[in-house]
Amino acid sequence: MTRMTNDAQNRNAAAASARRIGGVAVLAVRAALRTRTVAALLALLAACVLVLPGVVKGDGTPEGELHILLTYTLGFAFGLLCLATLWAACALFAAEIDSARMQLSAVKPVCAAEFWVGKWLALLALNAAALLAVYAGVYSQVRWRMHRDGWEVIERPVSRHVTRPLLPTPREEARDTLADLRARNELPQGYSERTILRVLEEKAHEKYTEIPPGGRQSWRFRLSRPLYADEAVTARLRFETEYNTRAQVSGICRLGSVETARAVEVPLDDFTLKEIEFDVEARAFGQVPAAGLRTFELSFAHTGDAQRAAGLLLRFRKDVALLTPGGSFWMNLMRAAAVHWSVLALLAAFGLTLSVCFSLPVAAFVATVLLVLTMVGNSVVQVVSEEDAQKWSNRAGVLVSRTVHGATRRALQAEPLAALTNGERLDAGMLRVSLGWNALLLPLLLAAAGCAVLRRRELADTE
Amino acid sequence: MPESKQQPVIETRGLRKVFRDFWRRPTVEAVKGLDLTVNDGEVFGLLGPNGSGKSTTIKMLLGLLRPTAGAVRVLGAAPDDTRAKARIGYLPEVSHLHPFLTPRETLLYYASLFGMPRGEAARRTRELLAMVDLEHAADRAVGGFSKGMARRVGLAQALVNAPALLVLDEPTSGLDPIGSREVKDLVCALARGGVTVLMTSHLLADVEDVCDRVAILERGVLRAEGKIAELLRQPDAVRFEVEGLDEPSAAAVRAELETRTGRRVRQEYPAMSLERYFLQVVAQDGRQRAFAIAPFLNTPPPPNS
Repeated sequence: MTRMTNDAQNRNAAAASARRIGGVAVLAVRAALRTRTVAALLALLAACVLVLPGVVKGDGTPEGELHILLTYTLGFAFGLLCLATLWAACALFAAEIDSARMQLSAVKPVCAAEFWVGKWLALLALNAAALLAVYAGVYSQVRWRMHRDGWEVIERPVSRHVTRPLLPTPREEARDTLADLRARNELPQGYSERTILRVLEEKAHEKYTEIPPGGRQSWRFRLSRPLYADEAVTARLRFETEYNTRAQVSGICRLGSVETARAVEVPLDDFTLKEIEFDVEARAFGQVPAAGLRTFELSFAHTGDAQRAAGLLLRFRKDVALLTPGGSFWMNLMRAAAVHWSVLALLAAFGLTLSVCFSLPVAAFVATVLLVLTMVGNSVVQVVSEEDAQKWSNRAGVLVSRTVHGATRRALQAEPLAALTNGERLDAGMLRVSLGWNALLLPLLLAAAGCAVLRRRELADTE
Repeated sequence: MPESKQQPVIETRGLRKVFRDFWRRPTVEAVKGLDLTVNDGEVFGLLGPNGSGKSTTIKMLLGLLRPTAGAVRVLGAAPDDTRAKARIGYLPEVSHLHPFLTPRETLLYYASLFGMPRGEAARRTRELLAMVDLEHAADRAVGGFSKGMARRVGLAQALVNAPALLVLDEPTSGLDPIGSREVKDLVCALARGGVTVLMTSHLLADVEDVCDRVAILERGVLRAEGKIAELLRQPDAVRFEVEGLDEPSAAAVRAELETRTGRRVRQEYPAMSLERYFLQVVAQDGRQRAFAIAPFLNTPPPPNS
């Protein structure tokens, strides 16, 4: 009986808490919708979706138009939403505290976490609505252009699973290299092993391997989803090297199924484009089992003239891939929207916590500086050499950049626009990491910090 | 006013507040060792000139400011205890309402902060809007309201939870004499229903009209405290009031008293207060009304636990 009473009390308390959070959220949504700033933001977003694709000129190909729509339009709209979210979040607590309106709410039986969560949920809801509108607008534009210009099937946007070769991770490779250097007593002097490991890992990410004339390289793939009889697999080789380095290259690609032990050979002699793709029907690998095909082996044999042709340079981790059907383009757009939404959720949490700690101008200034540091920090970390980092005049900047990069790397690792443009399906793992990291774990930590400050902060002054 | 039940609803002991600047250097000591007790069912007035520490004291009682030293108990709990907050209503000196909300939305918002179910919140909102005579403006944004109308919304939000303790900081500020009278009548009606009221005011007549006890603060120090009748009594003087006494009789009475006491007797014709005269004039015009207390407020507050 006592337990039942306790359960009922807990349910009532939870319902009351939900109503308090809902009340705070509704207030924040009303505050946003009834200000001119939001009207201005909506006008800018509409201009982004409707005007920008007409203003920015592409190369006239469907691929170019798609690139503009997906990269420029979505990128610009997302940038606008990032700034708007950050500044709105900075205002939510700070403006209420500065104007003393918080006093009336703070004397009600609402705990700090309910205030924080309510305001955060309001920003999440507003961002979800704005992103949905932007993405739906872009999708409509794509459909309209497809219809107007009669795009071929091959030119239409797609969503495909991308499977990379089974290779040691950059970290594993870096550890092996480090162990090798240590065994040979060839570790660079003046650097810690941790620094060397980091540099080796960065190099492993971008490492080019040469396939010389007469040479052969093969890669094994394990598809995350099986390939069925009525489907096709696409092999893709990408080159980011200068064209003249592959001018005389020719070769034979061989794609085989490990399950059926049958392969298809495709001769390649035109390396003028930056990307080579070829499709192979699953039936070409023989009788496809009911469970589908999962394991493949792709090889490239360089048959170019040893005297005239250069070796083919490839980053195996990035440039070689197998592509398989991965659902509709619209669903891929929605996945990209979810990744963007998760980043906005993180910015909202970040802004809210700053908003609890500082007045509105200070919070907005700190937020903007940290945003710029995040963007600059990532670039600095990529371009600065270890020698430059050792100079005393650079040390502070490099340290700040690396710290910011380290803190934000995981949050920003998903690149949904690049994936959309390349027709790559945003995989579930990346989506889970983005949502879990940006919309759950980091906001939880920021909320804990924000609530601790809000509980201790005096909400009135001498006035 | 009913006799207080002598159960402390507010208790402060050695309460002190020092404000500091950005570098944590003390700038002003607003409250200096305040000992105060407000009992259940009392209407208690906190008086003092500007800068005497009244608002600071109230904000410490409500948990908006942290005391530098001393102890505070409100409704038997610390000021930041949500169980105590659930039973407090607060009207600040400036209403601090969200200008983009309508009165209806404002009251629904504050009701939601008490975790009230929507139906109950809607009912109380209706009753409170009727009580403060704002039904006609219930769906207009508060930002366009006069100070008096905003004050009424502020008062309504302070009552949305049917509080056991009502804290009113300058409740009649910005109100015309009619509104002011209505608020005072409301305070008296709530007190009759068992609500404890703590109010501050610069208008001493207002305090005198409604308060059982007062405390006078000056520069953060408690200078006087007690029942109004006791504080204002002049024990060495006696006043008689007689209606319809003609001049010869009055002169005879005065002569008799002077003969008996051997002291000079002063004879006056008492005048009504300007407020009372104003209300009489306006009442003849048919414009005076009284707050019809919201039905849900007639339910007695839960016992002090």
